[in-house]
Amino acid sequence: MPGVDHCLQEAMAIPGAVGASIVDYTTGFPVATTGAAPNSDHEAAAAGTADVIQAANSRSLFVSAMPHDLLEDLIITTAGGYHLLRMVQTEFDSRLVLYVWLDRVQGNLAVARRRMQKLADELVAT
Amino acid sequence: MTASKTATPGRLLTQVAGERQTGVLVVGGHPGGAVYVLEGRVIYAESPAAPGVGELLTASGRLAARTWQNALDLGTSTARVGRLLVEQGHLTRGELELCVLGAIYDAAYFALSVDAVPVDFLAGATHWLGPVVHVDPEAINREVGRRIRLLDEIFPDRRVDVTAVAPATRLPRERVTLTSMQWELLVHSDGQRTPADLALLLGRAGYACVQELRRMAAMGLIELPETPVATPSPEFVRMPRARGAAADVKRPSPNSRPSTEARPSTNSRPPTDPRPSTDPRPAPQDAPSVPVVAGARAAVPASALAAPPLPVLISAPPAPSPPTPPPPEPDPPRHAVDDSSTQALYRPPRLARRKPGAKLPKEVAGEAPPVHPGTDEVLLKRIRTALRALR
Repeated sequence: MPGVDHCLQEAMAIPGAVGASIVDYTTGFPVATTGAAPNSDHEAAAAGTADVIQAANSRSLFVSAMPHDLLEDLIITTAGGYHLLRMVQTEFDSRLVLYVWLDRVQGNLAVARRRMQKLADELVAT
Repeated sequence: MTASKTATPGRLLTQVAGERQTGVLVVGGHPGGAVYVLEGRVIYAESPAAPGVGELLTASGRLAARTWQNALDLGTSTARVGRLLVEQGHLTRGELELCVLGAIYDAAYFALSVDAVPVDFLAGATHWLGPVVHVDPEAINREVGRRIRLLDEIFPDRRVDVTAVAPATRLPRERVTLTSMQWELLVHSDGQRTPADLALLLGRAGYACVQELRRMAAMGLIELPETPVATPSPEFVRMPRARGAAADVKRPSPNSRPSTEARPSTNSRPPTDPRPSTDPRPAPQDAPSVPVVAGARAAVPASALAAPPLPVLISAPPAPSPPTPPPPEPDPPRHAVDDSSTQALYRPPRLARRKPGAKLPKEVAGEAPPVHPGTDEVLLKRIRTALRALR
């Protein structure tokens, strides 16, 4: 039965993963972290993650343009890396997102995205 | 157990964590709360203002109330409710951990964000949930501080967090965009429920509710508390408060005026309505009692007392107040008749206090019985919420 720590370990096993965390995006608080973070600061990274999610959720018109068309994941690519944000849909009230930082050279976006989808589902699936 | 003393709970938490103690830090005041420490690490926190793990899981429908109750019955004595739920396959380990983590930080905000409250440390106490996660107390203290700052950046008025929520009747802007959570809060706010009531009712994190309420306060979507919170005692299960003009302490005796004026001035009976029915605006004398929703504030009964008697409705001067002191509890809320377009209030017939079982005065008894506003859904819901909180 995977717990939060196990989920993050698995995330770090994704090819090219440098760091991973689970972030509460209402407050920008890292609920759990592992590995490296941009600027070696998980808390600042989490706050930034929360801002990005809030912006996508509330200020972009393509999210929720139709009923039940909810945000699933966000991918930000930079010259040096991939930053993947996957919403963790719990049935109870929580606003969590799984964040994985991938190295640009070693990471594979498609593989990572599928693995994260599986991880986020397993974390909360019965 | 240390003697109850006034302290900053966060500092005491650091202290007991440094000594690697086990027990519970009980924070008094309002809303107060409790932080459970196991060998210097926080394993759970609870506060009346934050829904606990049980409320979060059952209110969302993730667990049936019976499943949760069974786990409580089986595991409370041995402090392994959390483990049982996972072992019996009702929850995944990840779900339980995330839920407990969320509940800890949520309750910690309410319990630890205050200074100088009575704080007790009961050594040796454990929580029935059992250790699910272990959190560093310093991380909690840091996060509580950050959450306070976040709220103040949105809208620096802490009264929003504890005052009953009343949607603004008229918006200060042409167009608003709401998040789904803001919508949920608005449609459930009735001028009576506090943010804590709403969080429990909706099964949403208390801090998330407060955060959205501050945002809505900043946008002018909810009424701001007019008076400073005189005593820091927001009751989390509130007794019904008088709304609008319902709290008439200076009740004129019924024989001091003709019977027609004892009738409620609803628009359902325009012929007897003493107010000109063509005028949709309320009489200026009604002004203090017009915002129905704002009337739920504690300040309004006082202003209703100070307001002059309504000459439109009562032609004779009101009789001097009876020698008996006014009842300490205001009347239960009476429903405003749903004609908000004219903003007229439902005024029940004013009667002198009678003995139990005594007959109604003739002139009132002759009329049709007062309109029954129907089941008080709001009160029922609040009783249900209160009962759930007791479980």
